[in-house]
Amino acid sequence: MSEPARIQTEDFSQDAEIAALKASSRRMGGIATFIGCARDFSEGREVTKISFEAYGSMALAEMGKLRSAAIEKFGLLDARIVHRVGMVGAGEQIVFIAAGAEHRAPAFEACQWLITELKQRVPIWKKEITPQGEEWVSQHP
Amino acid sequence: MDPGKIWGAGRVIRVLFFGPVAERMKAREMEVEFATGMTVHDVIARVGAQQPNVFSIVSFIAVNQNQVHDKQMALKDNDEIALMAKFSGG
Repeated sequence: MSEPARIQTEDFSQDAEIAALKASSRRMGGIATFIGCARDFSEGREVTKISFEAYGSMALAEMGKLRSAAIEKFGLLDARIVHRVGMVGAGEQIVFIAAGAEHRAPAFEACQWLITELKQRVPIWKKEITPQGEEWVSQHP
Repeated sequence: MDPGKIWGAGRVIRVLFFGPVAERMKAREMEVEFATGMTVHDVIARVGAQQPNVFSIVSFIAVNQNQVHDKQMALKDNDEIALMAKFSGG
């Protein structure tokens, strides 16, 4: 079975991720998921692709710590975090978060907390590829 | 002493650059010769000597994959330092 926190170049399947999450416990009454996708428009410009680069070893370690912290903080039964690196086309999936708990409230809260913390703590950078050129993005709204 | 290690060889600090910092440094890594008592600040000074304008975009520093805030932190032989721009994943 794939690792619950990982970085990969290839796309992911949310069905496969949710199936893996559910396989961890039959007590799971609520699963909240978040999928971040590549927009084709940013800051008034058309975006054709986004290139992601990670400090692999640290990013993976931080994602593992975030997952453990979320499980502890929200009393989750399990959680999964997948982030892609390399070239991602407009409209494609970038990041997947899933939080599974006995009830919906902690699942929702953990899912939001995980994506917010990921943006602040995981060393990954994105470069937008536009018809006018390429530019590294520094803000994370 | 570690018998597998050649004494005096490979005494370096690896400095890693990613994304926008790598672009500005025109390199993905550099090696700084390790000296006893060396601090994070000393390594930063070496990087700055090569590319002074890189620091306007460096927001985080990690030593061996852990973020550090104290630039006076002492380094060890073979430590890995990363100078990182603000993250933009997700």
